[in-house]
Amino acid sequence: MPVSHQTYREDTPCAGGLKRPEGLDRLLAAVVIVLIGLGTVFVFSAGVGLGNGPGVSRQGIQQLLLMPAAIILMLALSRLRYQVFALDGPIWRSATTYMLILSVILLILVLIPGIGVERNAARRWLLVGHGPLAVSFQPSELGKWAALFFVLAACHRARSALHSFGRQLLPILGVSGILIGLVAIEDFGTAAFIAILVLIGLIAGGARLRHIAALTLAGICLFSLLLLAEPYRVQRVMAFSQPNKWADSVGYQADQSLIALASGGPFGKGLGNGVSKYGHLPEDTTDFVFAVIGEELGFVGTTTVIILFGLLVALGLKITLGCPDPFGKLMAFGITAALGLQAGLNIGVVAVVLPTKGIPLPFVSSGGTSLILSSAAVGILMGIARQSNQARAASACGPMQT
Amino acid sequence: MRTRAIVVMLVALICSYGLLAARCFYLQCLKCDYYTGRAIRQQLARLPQAAPRGPILDCRGRILAASTCQWVAFVEPRIVTDAKVLAEQLSLLLHMPGPDICKAVLEAKNPGYVRIKSGLTSTEVAAIRKVRGAGAHQEWVRYYPMGQLCSGVVGFTSKDGSGLAGLELAFDQQLAGQRWQEVFLSDVARRPLKPVADDKDALVLAEDLMGSGLVLTIDSAIQHFAREALLEQLNAFEASWAVAIVADPKNGAILAMVSLPDFDPNQPGRFDPNTLANHAIQDQFEPGSVIKPIVAAIALDAGLVTTDELIDCEDGVYRGKGFGVITEYSHHRYGKMDLRAVLAHSSNIGMAKIGQRAGPVVLYNGLSLFGFGKATGIGLPGEAKGLLRPPQTWTGYSITRVPFGQEIGVTCIQITKAICILANDGRLVRPYLVKAIIEPSGNLQTRHRSYQMAAQVGYIVRPEVARWLVRDAMVAVVEEGTGRPARLDNWQVFGKTGTAQVARQDGPGYQEDAYIASFVGGAPAEDPQVVVCVVICRPNVRLGKGYTGGTVAAPVAKRIIERTLTYLQAKPYRVAGNSRSDYRLDM
Repeated sequence: MPVSHQTYREDTPCAGGLKRPEGLDRLLAAVVIVLIGLGTVFVFSAGVGLGNGPGVSRQGIQQLLLMPAAIILMLALSRLRYQVFALDGPIWRSATTYMLILSVILLILVLIPGIGVERNAARRWLLVGHGPLAVSFQPSELGKWAALFFVLAACHRARSALHSFGRQLLPILGVSGILIGLVAIEDFGTAAFIAILVLIGLIAGGARLRHIAALTLAGICLFSLLLLAEPYRVQRVMAFSQPNKWADSVGYQADQSLIALASGGPFGKGLGNGVSKYGHLPEDTTDFVFAVIGEELGFVGTTTVIILFGLLVALGLKITLGCPDPFGKLMAFGITAALGLQAGLNIGVVAVVLPTKGIPLPFVSSGGTSLILSSAAVGILMGIARQSNQARAASACGPMQT
Repeated sequence: MRTRAIVVMLVALICSYGLLAARCFYLQCLKCDYYTGRAIRQQLARLPQAAPRGPILDCRGRILAASTCQWVAFVEPRIVTDAKVLAEQLSLLLHMPGPDICKAVLEAKNPGYVRIKSGLTSTEVAAIRKVRGAGAHQEWVRYYPMGQLCSGVVGFTSKDGSGLAGLELAFDQQLAGQRWQEVFLSDVARRPLKPVADDKDALVLAEDLMGSGLVLTIDSAIQHFAREALLEQLNAFEASWAVAIVADPKNGAILAMVSLPDFDPNQPGRFDPNTLANHAIQDQFEPGSVIKPIVAAIALDAGLVTTDELIDCEDGVYRGKGFGVITEYSHHRYGKMDLRAVLAHSSNIGMAKIGQRAGPVVLYNGLSLFGFGKATGIGLPGEAKGLLRPPQTWTGYSITRVPFGQEIGVTCIQITKAICILANDGRLVRPYLVKAIIEPSGNLQTRHRSYQMAAQVGYIVRPEVARWLVRDAMVAVVEEGTGRPARLDNWQVFGKTGTAQVARQDGPGYQEDAYIASFVGGAPAEDPQVVVCVVICRPNVRLGKGYTGGTVAAPVAKRIIERTLTYLQAKPYRVAGNSRSDYRLDM
């Protein structure tokens, strides 16, 4: 180590040096716990409805049970070495491989009638268990993280060889293409989102810009073709461009979302006093929970949520920059970008700056799969922060201890 | 790996959050009013509410009209996207043809409400409330447990609960419950969530807004006696209409008022509109001989005749310049008779001579004091005034015809009132139907004019005159004259028959074979408890059963009096074998 570190060591003792950066992952945990708590409150609030009768809705109870589980999982995974996701060694020793295999199996299983559960005319869920204890699982959520981790790990493994289109880029695209394709059969929106994540991963991973430009163009063409193949997707886009004209049919959801969000005003109608959740606004506990927050807590509530996500992204950026290991950097960036982008897209849909798309708000929307996997991802991010601190501390204090 | 790209992308993400926050600011702070308005338009529901109409009870508290609650299924057409689907859903729930529902929804004039079915069961209510765009609300419906019994008096209401006839119309303001709008936030299926905060008034208990109740003088038992007897006679004689009124002569309380043919107020639409008329107050006709005791009372009171005096009733024909020819019924030749016999045998010539002696002014003044020529103010809508021409227009014909009931138009209630005055010792009696108006709080409402009963002041004729007519002359009618069919063993009945010809509509003269048979009277003569008026219009002469007041109307009156006095537990006054009253008028 250079001499300058000697002076640094004099100013701040090792114990203090360990303590200070550790605050970063604690702060991250705090932000996420606040978001999960807020989400639980609003899943409870939005879950009421005359159809459910008095008392607590099923989603509310589920969320209440999942909340501690998600937090415990997050804290537990922060102890995990993130290097298990790397593909540098033999591929059977990488967790990413198993995530990929599991995702593909589950995504195929979900397509089989009788195993996959259909909701809102889309077969996206696997039911685990029976009766009231049944837990539904959404394989596309797992597929999202598997695809992202795979692209990041593969880019890291390829390093400068990524510049070769045929030898490195094409296999990466092939594997993630299979996943995206499987997801796209039942869930076009999530598939498009995964494709964007793959693209971002490639950009960060160091793929050639002209390859990326070509891929983006190809992606847009494919997207447009698929869009035109299904009439309801075209209608959604049309509805987005003219919300008033389509307010009674396809644009209904977007219109109701605006009514709920904007009628909250600056300070909201008060917690629990929203009216839109009584059937006016569909998907009020899941994809449109942000609108319910807007209605009940007003501009104050919506900006709080946006600021919390901004904080999450800022902390993620800080962790990314603070991580000495390139793979850790990539992983930290990927997780931050995935969560942050998903939040941005969801809020964008609710605020009707983006066309309606079934993407939940991480930590806040009801839905166990998203909550558990998002928390797990944050756990990994916390682990990266912790390990980079330890590495830095080790490199800083190392000469003293030996 | 590109660190710069990572930083750029994440910073761009944070910046995009800033844009989203700006969008939220725009929506929630700047466009808040617009969207709040839209939210209210979509979430606010208004439900018109009406408190129940007050009940109508008879004098013993029996229910004549009451309001009951029923559930009504409705659809809000403006929030229905596919009427066909909705109609299919509802047809299964409500067990009615789907195309009817579909048609009703599509052709609805009011985009906010179309009525589908009433009288839902509680399971149907629960089921329909789950259907988007449909709902159920409660509604008050008027119910008349007595059916046709009191239809003419009580009347009926429209479907929306406003009075259309009878007392329901006359006392609509008092009976009507208050209306208000319930304003509340609703869920997407239009089920109420919570009342809107400002509308505290909407939370007033429905009981306080209920309409006032009416207690009538009608006794439905007596009404039943009267209707039963009258209906039998109406059918037996194939008459066009008939009226029976039972009144308490002491205070003018109407104990029964039947007008036939009648209708069922529960479903007035199903009946011939002609049955909706109340002939007891709406029809005026030439009364014929039933007017004679009144004219006799006027003449006696004025001292123009005495009870001992013999009146020359000629040889069955009385003719003279200026009044034409007057004959007796069945061309009897009565010769000289006293006033009692003139009334008992109903001599037209005798009455004409009394009329000539009295002159138009005395007769006119007397008749208007008895209440002819003006409405009695009984409180029913559409009451006819009758016809009593001013004395200066009277001719020689008039002065000889009015005393036996021609050239004068009267209503049944006017005759009843006049006989009540005689039976009440000549004191004024004002007939009334509404005994009390009771506010929902239980207080008596005293403001209404019909409630202010006539004080027992003002003699129309001297008591001795009235007593002589009731206890002597009109008893004679029943005992030995034309009113014999009304005679009862237990009580001394008094009365007077009338057989009037029906005046032609298209000119002077009378219709052929068209008669109005009547009997007015009461019992017991010593202390009259009831006055009964029976009028039967156009009994079918071709049946050969007769058409006179004595044969057609008097038996009805007899049955009514008998059953009513038995029901009222009146003490039998009549002493067996005493057919002549001992009362004498001291003039």
